[in-house]
Amino acid sequence: MSLSRLCFVLAFHAYGFGAIAYVTLLAGRRKGMVWTARVLTAVGWVLQGVGLALLLSGQGWRPHGFAEALSILAFLLVALFLTVELRTQAPVLGAFLAPAAVAVWLPALWLGPSAQPSTSGPWTPMLLAHIGIALTGLAVFGVATGVAVAFLLLERQVKGKRFGLLFQRIPSLELLDGLNRRLVLWGFVALSLTLVTGLWVASRTGGARTFQAVEITTAVAWLVFAGLLQARVLAGWRGRRVAWLTMAGFGLLVLSLVGTYGPGGGR
Amino acid sequence: MSSVLVCLGVSHKTAPVALRERLAVPVERQSEVLGRVAASPTEALFVSTCNRVELYGFGAADSLEARLRAELTLLGGEEALAHAYLHRGEAALRHLFRVAASLDSMVVGEPQILGQVKEAFELAQRVGAARAELGRVCAAAFSAAKRVRTETDIGRAATSMAAAAVQLASKIFGGLDGKTVLLVGAGEMSELAGRHLASAGARPLLVTNRTLQHAEALARALDGEALPFHPLEAALRRADVVVCTTASPVPIITREMVAGTVRSRRHRPLFLVDLAVPRDVEPEVNDLDNVYAYDVDDIQRVVAENTALRADAAAQGEALVAEDLARFLSDRALREGVPVLAQLRARAEAIRKAELERALANLPTPLTEAQAAVVAAMTSAIVNKVLHQPTVRLRAVTPGQALNPLAEAVAELFGLDAASRRSGES
Repeated sequence: MSLSRLCFVLAFHAYGFGAIAYVTLLAGRRKGMVWTARVLTAVGWVLQGVGLALLLSGQGWRPHGFAEALSILAFLLVALFLTVELRTQAPVLGAFLAPAAVAVWLPALWLGPSAQPSTSGPWTPMLLAHIGIALTGLAVFGVATGVAVAFLLLERQVKGKRFGLLFQRIPSLELLDGLNRRLVLWGFVALSLTLVTGLWVASRTGGARTFQAVEITTAVAWLVFAGLLQARVLAGWRGRRVAWLTMAGFGLLVLSLVGTYGPGGGR
Repeated sequence: MSSVLVCLGVSHKTAPVALRERLAVPVERQSEVLGRVAASPTEALFVSTCNRVELYGFGAADSLEARLRAELTLLGGEEALAHAYLHRGEAALRHLFRVAASLDSMVVGEPQILGQVKEAFELAQRVGAARAELGRVCAAAFSAAKRVRTETDIGRAATSMAAAAVQLASKIFGGLDGKTVLLVGAGEMSELAGRHLASAGARPLLVTNRTLQHAEALARALDGEALPFHPLEAALRRADVVVCTTASPVPIITREMVAGTVRSRRHRPLFLVDLAVPRDVEPEVNDLDNVYAYDVDDIQRVVAENTALRADAAAQGEALVAEDLARFLSDRALREGVPVLAQLRARAEAIRKAELERALANLPTPLTEAQAAVVAAMTSAIVNKVLHQPTVRLRAVTPGQALNPLAEAVAELFGLDAASRRSGES
């Protein structure tokens, strides 16, 4: 087993136990458990970072295939949710996002490494930036989606007047909605840059001039988020419908990712 | 037949809000009910709050129960009887003590209930339905309630319905700093809710009421702003939290009304706390996006967990109530014994005097004044010695004793005036 693979296995276990610790916070907040979850996840993140550095440095910093894209996405997702969780002091958000990070990374470990780089074209700094920004944007929308799920669950309890564990543990609706607004805004910036850099790379490399399903899906997602932000700013939209739109937009981006790197994606 | 205290009623524990709404009648109708129930020698009390409607009567048990049942049926139909509880005698007393001490409240320890029971008693006094016995019972209940409040942490540990509303608002808004509160209604409950919300940081406080002067008075007290009652939509547009406490028989905030303000509010969350019974807010309002409407029953569920946290203080309160109830029963048993004793002594004294006079008159040689005094002293001593043990026994009441059986027995044996005795087993 290579050193990078060992790092990944250890990191995955740390994420797994961290996710379990985060989920137990739904049953009751204990300070010891909060820090256990955070430390386990942070250790996993460092190990995964080391593994990725070892792996990518050996590949000329070119990610190979769907598995590595998912691995980088999980790495970014964990970094973001740890930041958000620490900034908002709402560790229970980890109960939604830590398992999501594990779920994103699990297929990557199952698929295993790919021998071929993700693109057959020439590697340029702009292409690397395009991929990096795209995955970062996806991770931001992933966290926004986790927050939206938490919002919808809490909103359902508040509306239905059911005062169970989620009602007690999840932070306020306004905090979640505000967090969603900021995350979607940053995600939208990243998505816009992804489209711009993507078009720039395509124009320089003489890529396909016709729009393919992936580009169309990404453009539709961009329109969804653009409409969402406009509705927020101009009409004051918030709450449930914004949460659903966030999830819908993220779903489109996941389709786009699968279309780009997945089986038959051809990238 | 002896008299008893009987309580027939429904509360948040036994009846849904829809039924309690029907039973929440205005003061005029309460007076009518009291007038019918409290035909002498019966006494009556009508306790009506958001969470309970209870009829108390003091009189002959059988006829009283039937009368209370008839009145409750008149107010709420057969359904009311199906959800009602009935307490008699000592159980009714204990219930009233617990209600006044807020141990039976939706939010255990909430302070409003004592004032509400006092108001009910004042109304019963005004219409002549509460007289000597209910006066004593209520005074003891109020005293016990005061002890529970001052000698336990129940006041500090308890959250009123208003405080529960603050807790809910925090779940929606995170914090209440800078949130605009609209108080619809200008009564005591509204003031309490306003103070709770203001202490949590809510500002500004808007107050509206059908009678603008009342709204202005409350706004002055809360350092808020009074608004005209119409159009209510204008006030709703500004509010984040709305607390309704009016006595309106129909909802004053409808789904259409709130839906019409959603756009102009820019979809800001709106939290409506309906503490009124009958409800001021249509339940369908809760179906609107970003609008959360809670009525008193909903809040009951919110505070259920808090109630567990206050269990210790409540247990202490229960002990105090039991102690005060025992003292009340002992005092009453003593009160029962004293009139009987006085009559017994008066009877014995009358016999002594009569027999002494007859004996002195039958003597062939009249006694000197000194000799007559000696004989009179001897007869008094005989009476006192004979009555010594009965006197001690009648005054010795076991703590917590509800009845003084000796008083009843002495009255029966010596044929004393039953009407002058304080009968009953309430």
